[in-house]
Amino acid sequence: MAGGEEVTLDWEMFVFLFLSASTLLSAIYVIRAREIVHSVVGLATCFIAIAALYIMLSAEFVAIVQILVYVGAVVVVILFGIMLTRREIMESEKR
Amino acid sequence: MNLFEFCYGIIHWLVDLINHLWYWLGDVLPWWFGDFFDAVGNFAASQGHMAVMTIFLEVVIVVVIALINVLNFIWIFRKFMGRMFDFYGPYYVGYRIGGWLQNLADGIKLFVKEIIVPAKADKMGYLLAPIIYIGSSILILATIPFSENFGVATNESGSYVPAGALFALAAFAIAPFSILLAGWASNNKYTLIGGMRSAAQMMSYEIPLLMTVASVFLLAGSYGFVDIVDAQHDIWFAFPLFIGFLIFLVCLAAEVEIIPFDLPEAEAELVEGWTTEYGGMRFGLFYFTTTIRSYAGGALATALFLGGWHGPALIPDEIWFLIKAYIVYTIFQWMTWSLPRVRVDQMLGIGWKRLLPLAVINLMIAVALKSMGWF
Repeated sequence: MAGGEEVTLDWEMFVFLFLSASTLLSAIYVIRAREIVHSVVGLATCFIAIAALYIMLSAEFVAIVQILVYVGAVVVVILFGIMLTRREIMESEKR
Repeated sequence: MNLFEFCYGIIHWLVDLINHLWYWLGDVLPWWFGDFFDAVGNFAASQGHMAVMTIFLEVVIVVVIALINVLNFIWIFRKFMGRMFDFYGPYYVGYRIGGWLQNLADGIKLFVKEIIVPAKADKMGYLLAPIIYIGSSILILATIPFSENFGVATNESGSYVPAGALFALAAFAIAPFSILLAGWASNNKYTLIGGMRSAAQMMSYEIPLLMTVASVFLLAGSYGFVDIVDAQHDIWFAFPLFIGFLIFLVCLAAEVEIIPFDLPEAEAELVEGWTTEYGGMRFGLFYFTTTIRSYAGGALATALFLGGWHGPALIPDEIWFLIKAYIVYTIFQWMTWSLPRVRVDQMLGIGWKRLLPLAVINLMIAVALKSMGWF
């Protein structure tokens, strides 16, 4: 804040920065995680953070449908797909 | 006066009190300290900070009410099971109040047990799954108002969570993800099978559930709890949408995994289902949260079908709401202790072949009622 303005912490700015940072970090985690189920956790975090961003844009309905469809259905279907195609429960011991 | 105004008053008073002390402290210190103290004090008294603190206080109130209710519900569960099976139920701990303190004793026992993480478990998933499950379940409660004046408001004007009923169902829908994660991360075949069953069951029963709720939204013309309950001022939606109410109860029983549909925790087949590897207070919190979900289900059934807080003005609105929610929960328990568990194939058959067509018929009835202009 230049020119002697009073420094105020803007809550909206703070929340926006937090949400966008968590969206980006979880999106990076999706491609960086070693375990594929961890990627799915990152994906769910990313979806929820995007839903919260929609709420900040006062599009509540889109946010709710985002959670209902993406976290409630798409992520679970992805998890089903991952788990049903593995022969062992976990493969992390092999590394 | 609604809950938001009440909490805002408390927070305003507290901030004033603390700021008096704070500014006094700033005055007696050197000037450069004083400026800093002034900045912090002004921030504490700002509108945004007070609103956030008010919402925190509201959430605390809602959660405490939920926890007390859950203690009651677990007590009802045990007493009712005892009466159905011809024994007394909890009796010795607090025998003057019907053994109500047994829950607290069990809670303390679980609380002091050792917390174990299995050696071959996936640490991240094992620790994250309870957080997601409990967090999303308590999020449901934040959306459900007990009356027009008692609910978590979103802003100064006192309006409630927009599209609250839909938001509650969206929070319900997060749970299969955490359950599947818990089942996988425990690295045990029973937990994995339990998690798979649970996710399959929740996903398949969510569709008829949402379709019956869609018929309620259609008749009420709104997604918000207050509008839905006001639309039931003349007649409860349980009467014109009788099929829908029954479907809603059955789907809710499947969503909260109580006995006719407790395949994910079938004690005779899977040891304890997807919670097998969780011990101590983690298991306690899972148990607690499952009861919170039953309570939220009862509250949803009350708000969407049983007229919410409407009733003779003899009793306050909030108490009416709780009475109805308790009755729905007791009906759940009645169902639990009188029906045998369904098989996996029967469970999916009931969901897709019976409930889904009935939900479509229910939606058609709702459309017919709406187009006749009766609602």
